[in-house]
Amino acid sequence: MNAYLPPLVVDVCVRETGSRNFRIWLPFFLLWPVLLIVVGFALLVTALVDLALFISGARYHHYTLLVLGSLRVLASVRGTHVDAVNDDSIVRVDIY
Amino acid sequence: MSEDRKRILGMLAEGKITADEAEMLLDSLGAPAGEATRETTPSPSADWPTGPSAAGTPKFLYVKVTGGKDTVDVKVPLSVLRAGLKLTSLIPPQAMERINESLGEHGMSLEFDNLKPEDIEDLIASLREMEINVRSAEGEDVRIFCA
Repeated sequence: MNAYLPPLVVDVCVRETGSRNFRIWLPFFLLWPVLLIVVGFALLVTALVDLALFISGARYHHYTLLVLGSLRVLASVRGTHVDAVNDDSIVRVDIY
Repeated sequence: MSEDRKRILGMLAEGKITADEAEMLLDSLGAPAGEATRETTPSPSADWPTGPSAAGTPKFLYVKVTGGKDTVDVKVPLSVLRAGLKLTSLIPPQAMERINESLGEHGMSLEFDNLKPEDIEDLIASLREMEINVRSAEGEDVRIFCA
């Protein structure tokens, strides 16, 4: 189930010489209820489509798995870290 | 002492950057931080491996760019690759044909539908032995490896 858990928070930290540093936590978990509704609806529709395709004898009937697979790709970006540093600035992005 | 280390320590001495930032820059050069920065909190990339892991299945893909004006460290979980490759086996055949055609037009004769789900783990395990080192004319070093 953990493999389908979308990112919780994106942490963006920017430090620049001569200006104010800022750090922002983007609470992606606030979008989870919306995502839950969208994915739930998509799964329902794709399940019906897959069932219809299966009954009609179509070779391909994996749209439900495709939606779940896409959700898994989204979930797997957790743990990504980007650090970019130059003489004047530091930018750090973490996806949790 | 390398030019990059001198420049970072110079920036620290001039007060242009904080001790934390200096340590992060020194760590990204792959060298241990000096006495002046040792007591500060290490940056996340300080604990990153400096090369491919010798054993076990790699967990992350690392991209490190050093030596130039910018220093970049990127860590991407290999689970993205795993999930992405598994997803390719679920793409409808008509869409897959168009993807393959498009890849072919761009000079990449890679057919993802030939990739079986059981091959994915072997592919990821073999990435342990992969290491790409590129040095540009401007003196930038790019390292890509999995660990």
